Amino acid sequence: MKLLKPSWVSHNGKPIFSVDIHPDGTKFATGGQGEDSGKVMIWNMAPVLRDEDEKNENIPKMLCQMDNHLACVNCVRWSNNGLYLASGGDDKLVMVWKRAAFIGPSTVFGSSSKLANVEQWRCVTILRNHTGDVMDVAWSPHDVWLASCSVDNTIVIWNARKFPEMVTCLRGHTGLVKGLTWDPVGKYVASQADDHSLRVWRTMDWQMEANITKPFSECGGTTHVLRLSWSPDGQYLVSAHAMNNSGPTAQIVERGGWKTNMDFVGHRKAVTVVKFNPKIFKKKQKNGSAPKPGCPYCCCAVGSKDRSLSVWLTSLKRPLVVIHDLFDKSIMDISWTLTGLGMLVCSMDGTVAYLDFSLDELGDPLNEEEKNSIHQNIYGKSLAITSTEAQLSTTIIENPEMLKYQQERQSSAQLGPSSAGPEASAPKLNSVMNGESLEDIRKNLLKKQVETRTPDGRRRITPLCIAQLDTGDFSPALFNSAPILPSGSSMSNQLTSQLSSDSSPGPASSLGLRPGHDPMLTSPPAGAATKGPEDNKDGAKSGLLLTSASKIEPMKALDSRFTERSKATPGVTATISSIAGLVPLDSRPKDGGGVSAPKDVKAKDDTSSDSEDKMASINKNLSFSKRKPELLMDGDGVVEKRKKGRPRKDKMAAPMAQPFMQMTPPAEREPSRVAAPPAALKLPTPSIKKAFSLQVSMEPSVFLEVENEVSLIAGSKLSQLRCSRDGRDWNTLLPSSVVTAAGSSDVLAVACQDRMLSVFSSCGRRLLPAIQLATPASALHCSAHFVMALTAGATLSVWDVHKQKALVKNESLLSILSGADTTVSQSLLTQQGVPVIGLSNGKCYCFSSSLETWTLIADKGDSMVQCADFRSCLPTHDAPVSSGPLAVMQGRNLNAGRLASRLSSTPHHLQQSMTLAFLENQLASALTLQSAQEYRYWLLIYARFLVNEGSEHRLRELCQELLGPVHKSAATAWEPTTLGLRKRELLREVLPVIVENLRFQRLFTEYQDQLELLRNK
Amino acid sequence: MAKVQVLNVAVLDNPSPFGNPFQFEITFECMEDLPEDLEWKIIYVGSAESEEYDQVLDSVLVGPVPAGRHMFVFQADAPNTGLIPESDAVGVTVVLITCTYRGQEFIRIGYYVNNEYTDPELRENPPLKPDYTQLLRNILASNPRVTRFHINWEGSADKMEDCENVDPSPNISGMLPPSCIPGKMPPLGLMPDNSMDCM
Repeated sequence: MKLLKPSWVSHNGKPIFSVDIHPDGTKFATGGQGEDSGKVMIWNMAPVLRDEDEKNENIPKMLCQMDNHLACVNCVRWSNNGLYLASGGDDKLVMVWKRAAFIGPSTVFGSSSKLANVEQWRCVTILRNHTGDVMDVAWSPHDVWLASCSVDNTIVIWNARKFPEMVTCLRGHTGLVKGLTWDPVGKYVASQADDHSLRVWRTMDWQMEANITKPFSECGGTTHVLRLSWSPDGQYLVSAHAMNNSGPTAQIVERGGWKTNMDFVGHRKAVTVVKFNPKIFKKKQKNGSAPKPGCPYCCCAVGSKDRSLSVWLTSLKRPLVVIHDLFDKSIMDISWTLTGLGMLVCSMDGTVAYLDFSLDELGDPLNEEEKNSIHQNIYGKSLAITSTEAQLSTTIIENPEMLKYQQERQSSAQLGPSSAGPEASAPKLNSVMNGESLEDIRKNLLKKQVETRTPDGRRRITPLCIAQLDTGDFSPALFNSAPILPSGSSMSNQLTSQLSSDSSPGPASSLGLRPGHDPMLTSPPAGAATKGPEDNKDGAKSGLLLTSASKIEPMKALDSRFTERSKATPGVTATISSIAGLVPLDSRPKDGGGVSAPKDVKAKDDTSSDSEDKMASINKNLSFSKRKPELLMDGDGVVEKRKKGRPRKDKMAAPMAQPFMQMTPPAEREPSRVAAPPAALKLPTPSIKKAFSLQVSMEPSVFLEVENEVSLIAGSKLSQLRCSRDGRDWNTLLPSSVVTAAGSSDVLAVACQDRMLSVFSSCGRRLLPAIQLATPASALHCSAHFVMALTAGATLSVWDVHKQKALVKNESLLSILSGADTTVSQSLLTQQGVPVIGLSNGKCYCFSSSLETWTLIADKGDSMVQCADFRSCLPTHDAPVSSGPLAVMQGRNLNAGRLASRLSSTPHHLQQSMTLAFLENQLASALTLQSAQEYRYWLLIYARFLVNEGSEHRLRELCQELLGPVHKSAATAWEPTTLGLRKRELLREVLPVIVENLRFQRLFTEYQDQLELLRNK
Repeated sequence: MAKVQVLNVAVLDNPSPFGNPFQFEITFECMEDLPEDLEWKIIYVGSAESEEYDQVLDSVLVGPVPAGRHMFVFQADAPNTGLIPESDAVGVTVVLITCTYRGQEFIRIGYYVNNEYTDPELRENPPLKPDYTQLLRNILASNPRVTRFHINWEGSADKMEDCENVDPSPNISGMLPPSCIPGKMPPLGLMPDNSMDCM
């Protein structure tokens, strides 16, 4: 074993809380405390591994540093695929980093260290949910999820495929959660907390599997972290800080039954971190000796507060090695290389150590195949329950049918646009530079930039966008021409500054921002004398001040100005003064003496780290004025909330819905069928025209012409009805003026002034004797062989002309015409003879003759419609969306719904429920309307939605309903068809949808088999 | 984490005569589209002794700011010499660039500024009343001092991560008449571009 402490790996002496080696072994990340923020640093592994690389100055040691975390970084973890780095810190955030393609140095602006970032790592997502410090983060196997735990006692599971989506929040711990580990099989995630418990959670339903408390009951005191670890074969979970007979141990928890019979003993203080070697080993074969069967074993490193490190092999009773006094302070984190032979350890004392083992010491690592075969032997074939498509590759497909569907799907996916996922969605750089170099742009920026005045006379500059980015993939050409260099100085000396600082391994040890600490290799261009860094080490200011030594004292006062928050922004001033009217404030805004700024209030922030004395007094003055707003704030919470919450959405929805209602005036859509201007209670009747004509059907082409009062015979006025069907005419006479007429390809109906309704066949044969309506006809519809009449007395009748029978008998609309202003805005009759009434209030009803009641099929004011989002479930190839009575009545409102859902950010679970409710409504409505095609359309969307969202119960019920009983019995009430669609055929269409989520492969197999069985019968 | 990161500030026209305008070329990067403008200010510290002599040289709104890397030049007139205490005219002082979003300052970049006579004779025997025309302003551009503040970027009360650390001002907006967009102050005027977020 070789041991190395690379002294250059440091956070300027600040504690290093976490270390993690990149899966490819070429770099590693450290996390810890920065100067006034948290710090994540990425280091080159090569100088650690090889002495000559460490000495070679051309090989960079530090690759990147990120001080975006506002407070100490407690954990850094690379994703298993190595693309991402997750970091969690005391600022309650988890940040996910991705490397930007731009290759070139840059530093953090204003950072005292002049070391350049060789690699660019950019924060791509910030995960906010924790309300306390994030202590540990862990990527699940295959990077499906990212788990983070916090001192807020919770563990949050994030969807690593769709950041920042949260999968769930695991609650149950009653103390600070300080460590996380995933089961390598993917079935569990385990956590350890200060509440003297270690909990195991199932990934299937995110419920608690086990709560292990006994080994921890004795635990006193606390450790900063409790990083537990799961063995690579999945059989053992080893905890941090446990106690056995008042001695600190690392408790071994067996997977089977979560038994706690063994532990690693020997550390003198609490165990902070346990890390299993990713490899499984087998005994090294000695040369010449016969191969011994030997059981494979695991290797585990244990770090403790006692500053020592022990490495254990599960095949040995005693530790392989114990290293004392490696550090001055507690060990905080351990990371193994993927090869299993190297290990980095970091400590609170701000140093790291590298341990290099040989195969002789650890044994022969099993290769991946052997490891997999161990997994297969232990866990059987289907290991992980998957919930995302992306994980398909790792799940075993159990059914050849399933495999067929999968392959079809994959091949079609390859043809189509690339599949979703963080990699695929990575945005590309769109350079706006048009070939102009950055240098040119900078020269003319002042002249070129767009400056406008706001209405109140303020200057407003439109910044020049030099790169559109999300992940920061800059084109090298853009920045190589004129790299943006650190520490804003004019361009000429920027370059020299860069070069000189690069070539000199400057001390870069300054903690604060005191100017003199920096190697001031660049001379301020004032011509002032330059001094080397060694000259100004003690006289911090002298290097800078040069000619004005007398001014040293004021500098101290000036220094504080850098860190104090500015007195007030006009914004704050404005609000405070606007409240001033409500609340008399003692500290009236003082005049800041600004040239253009409005009156300033000395609103200091308490957070500014080094506020000086005079600030304190100002704060005292302020305390009154600050309190007031806070008090007021409470009262105004309601107002604030309302603004963000639902009402805002409703506001959004209202203007959305209205235009659509206006856009579908009935007359425009179906001129022949509708006639319903406003009326209070009774429905309006069409006025009698001398003559009118209408086209009844396109195919065959049927025209209807009505001419009223053509002749007077024996005092009665006769009206003529003329019909032309495919060129053949017929006509008939009616004893009264025709008020309205309607027709289909099968029947024609006319309503006369004398409240008589006559029905003719398409050839002019009278089919029914004249029907006497109770009140004059308001609207008349024909469809197939159905005739519907809506009377002015707000009653509805529908007749089946073939069967000569009433489907709906004088049904009153009063029950749906609630409210004085509501009137019928649209009415229609479906091909199946279902009457549909659209009302002016946006609601739409159909009368179900089987239920003998009005059923609501569409409500444009329904927020459900506005929020339902099932875009992901739409069939891609079915270009004609859905056409039928349901679509006609709901109109383009559906699109509006999708639009609205995109604009408003409804919480996912809420939206999910709303979508589900909406889809079920659609399905039921289509059923009531007897609109078979629409039923099929919505059924498939519904099934896909259930599959995507993983609601197994509903899906199973749906399949069961479609399948029906396999064995016929007289007692079953199951109908094999619905709306003329064979249910089992529908099931056959639903099954390929189910395949899309491998989680349901059992369900698929079950129904697929039964369908096959039925087919063979 | 801050949505806006300042990547670089280049001090242009430096050193220069005292009366020349300040010019800073600011490069910043924005993580996501900002619905509201950034407000940048240049503050000249007239005297180290007291904030009373601070001068806001200018403030500009910068927007719209979509996600991406942006740059602009912020030019502001030289300080009003009448407001600078005579004893503090020559020597070292500070110029600050601050940026606020929704009325909350999230970054403060400070530079030492050295004002000196170029003429050696004047340097030896400075006049009692400072002669500003002879002063050379030198900004110590190589050594910016950057202080970042944690602010509430969302501008809404319940998303606030750190109540005690965040400037209370965004919440004050709750007291405005409901017709106001939160975080926007009437005296600044409503920017029509931003009404988009109501759609």
